Amino acid sequence: MNTILIIEDEILIQQSLKKLFERKGLKVDVSASGKLAIDLILNNHYDRIICDLMLQDISGFDVIEESKKKFSPEEISKKFVIMTAYNSPQVLSRANAYQCRLLNKPFDDLEQAMRTMTE
Amino acid sequence: MENRPHTANEETTEYITLFIDPQILSDFEFIDISRFKIADEKNSKLSLLKKGDRLWVNFADGEHCDFPYYYKNVKSILAGIELQKNLRVSTNEAFDGFIKTTQNMEKKVFSSVSLNPGENVKDLWDEIIKKVNLISNESHSLRSLMEKLLDVPFLQKFESSLVILHLKGQTKAELLGIIWRSEKTQSLIEVKDFNAFFNSIKKSKIKSFSSDTFPKMNLPFNGSFLAKEVMSKKYSMVAIVSRHDFLSYSKEEVELFETCIDLLQPHFERLIDQEFSDKRISELRVCLKDFPLPLRIRDNISGSAFMNDLYTSELQDKDIFFNKKVQGPFSLDLYDSDELRHYAFDLFHFQRISLLGELLNTLRHELSNPLFGLKLGSQLFSMMDVNTDSKEIMHEIEKNVNRCQVIIENFSNLYQIQNESKPVALKKIIDESIVLSKSEVREVRKSIQYLNNTENIELDVPLIFVVQIIFNLIVNAAQAMKNMEGTKELTLTINAEDKNVYIDVFDNGPGIPADKLSQLFKPFFTTKSQGTGLGLVLSRNLALKMGGNLEYLVNNSGKGAHFRLMLPRT
Repeated sequence: MNTILIIEDEILIQQSLKKLFERKGLKVDVSASGKLAIDLILNNHYDRIICDLMLQDISGFDVIEESKKKFSPEEISKKFVIMTAYNSPQVLSRANAYQCRLLNKPFDDLEQAMRTMTE
Repeated sequence: MENRPHTANEETTEYITLFIDPQILSDFEFIDISRFKIADEKNSKLSLLKKGDRLWVNFADGEHCDFPYYYKNVKSILAGIELQKNLRVSTNEAFDGFIKTTQNMEKKVFSSVSLNPGENVKDLWDEIIKKVNLISNESHSLRSLMEKLLDVPFLQKFESSLVILHLKGQTKAELLGIIWRSEKTQSLIEVKDFNAFFNSIKKSKIKSFSSDTFPKMNLPFNGSFLAKEVMSKKYSMVAIVSRHDFLSYSKEEVELFETCIDLLQPHFERLIDQEFSDKRISELRVCLKDFPLPLRIRDNISGSAFMNDLYTSELQDKDIFFNKKVQGPFSLDLYDSDELRHYAFDLFHFQRISLLGELLNTLRHELSNPLFGLKLGSQLFSMMDVNTDSKEIMHEIEKNVNRCQVIIENFSNLYQIQNESKPVALKKIIDESIVLSKSEVREVRKSIQYLNNTENIELDVPLIFVVQIIFNLIVNAAQAMKNMEGTKELTLTINAEDKNVYIDVFDNGPGIPADKLSQLFKPFFTTKSQGTGLGLVLSRNLALKMGGNLEYLVNNSGKGAHFRLMLPRT
């Protein structure tokens, strides 16, 4: 685990997470836009991608869909961690379809959330 | 007639080009010309023209047939043409087919008037059509139309003429018309009975019936009758005529009657439209009459255009609490009235609550993310190498963020369950109320006492209702004590009996003066400069709604206020 991409449009969350991961010695890229994130994903290597669902331009699911160009479903299920504040049944079932890890915002326990994201 | 080579090839198949008189199209709006190949009069094989009371069918070779001008004939001719088109036969065959259809029809039409042998058939038809046109123009209501229908030549020996009308969406069908040629009759019929009746009329091929067959319809005569159904977007209707005897009707009479009803269809439409809109207005008036507040509609010419039963002349302009210009010269006034207005407020209140629910949901979604960012940021900072003071501040920020989150959660949980009631612990109700009112009672010493193990009692009531009442009582108490010297105390005691639980809210403020007690639960009564005077009214209404009550208990010490909320145990 060396490189990580954080896709999150709430800058305070994005930057805080970035600093938290950097403290753990990881190389972190960030993107507030879904479209930019797709570019980054297709042109760089990331061990882990933390993706918020509600972005300003497109949804986190769209980002995952686009990433299918590069990754197999199995890779997607391992690489992506979905972050969401809206865990409606529809969102949950869609996230389950990708078999990704799912984190609810706000995190109940920061340490545990960090472990989920970096494991 | 042009002789074209017969071919079965679809692509070269030509259908009859048709010209239809614009007058016919406007008389029978329901003709769908898109189904035909329409040309101008010169280039068409067939022209349908209206000539006075006759329908002329002109052929390309100059020949013509004429028929009585009525919808049924136009329809049969067009149906004949369409049939050929659908069979995809070539022009010549189509044309032959068409001639057969018209000849058949002609035969049928002319045989149908043979019931008056010796009379000139064309004259009889002309007479019938003239009469039908005349009565339909003279009639200004459905009933008068039915009354005059009996003047049509072949119906002159009939005794009754009725319609049963069902306007779509109504729960009853209405029978109206005349019996014994003069006696007016009117009654209501259940929709399901009407529907059954309508369908049997529609399915029947003979259209000649007996009143015994339909006991549920309670037809106002005995004997056989002729009936024809009429249907449109807005209504379904059955027209009935009877001689009040038990003889069956001839095929000719059936045909004539059907034809008359066909002819009358546009007029039915017009009259029903008129009467229906009148009826709507009178229904609206009834609604306004029942409105639970004194109401007056004013126009700027005559003063009062409409008043409901609760309006009295003693009411003055100062009693108006709602005024709105409605339309044209009209404006609507609602007046204040003690007994009845809480109905209206209840309504406003519930609208507000559901609006608030939506608003809170949006707020929760919109606030959650930035709050989470704040929380993460402060957590991050307290991990960094900063001095103790800064760490403490960061810790405070985090705590406050958590508090905001809890408040938002509480509020939206409250509103999510809306009116649903499910068993909820009494302690939870109290806790929620305290959390929500926290900022209002900051300087007040609070004590909560559960007597008789009431912590564990569960109530089957909507959480939101009870929390709202208690929240209201707490806020009232806090505000009453606001400018008070000395210790402010708020006490909640929770007690229970077999059937009821009691939540008592005490404060040590100035209490309610004895002369104000009678007005305490009346709308708009308030002692606060910013108060609406609705809090206690609404709270009591909510309590009553749950089968409980809210009352003020007079205490003898003369100090403080004591409200008691009573709720039924499950």
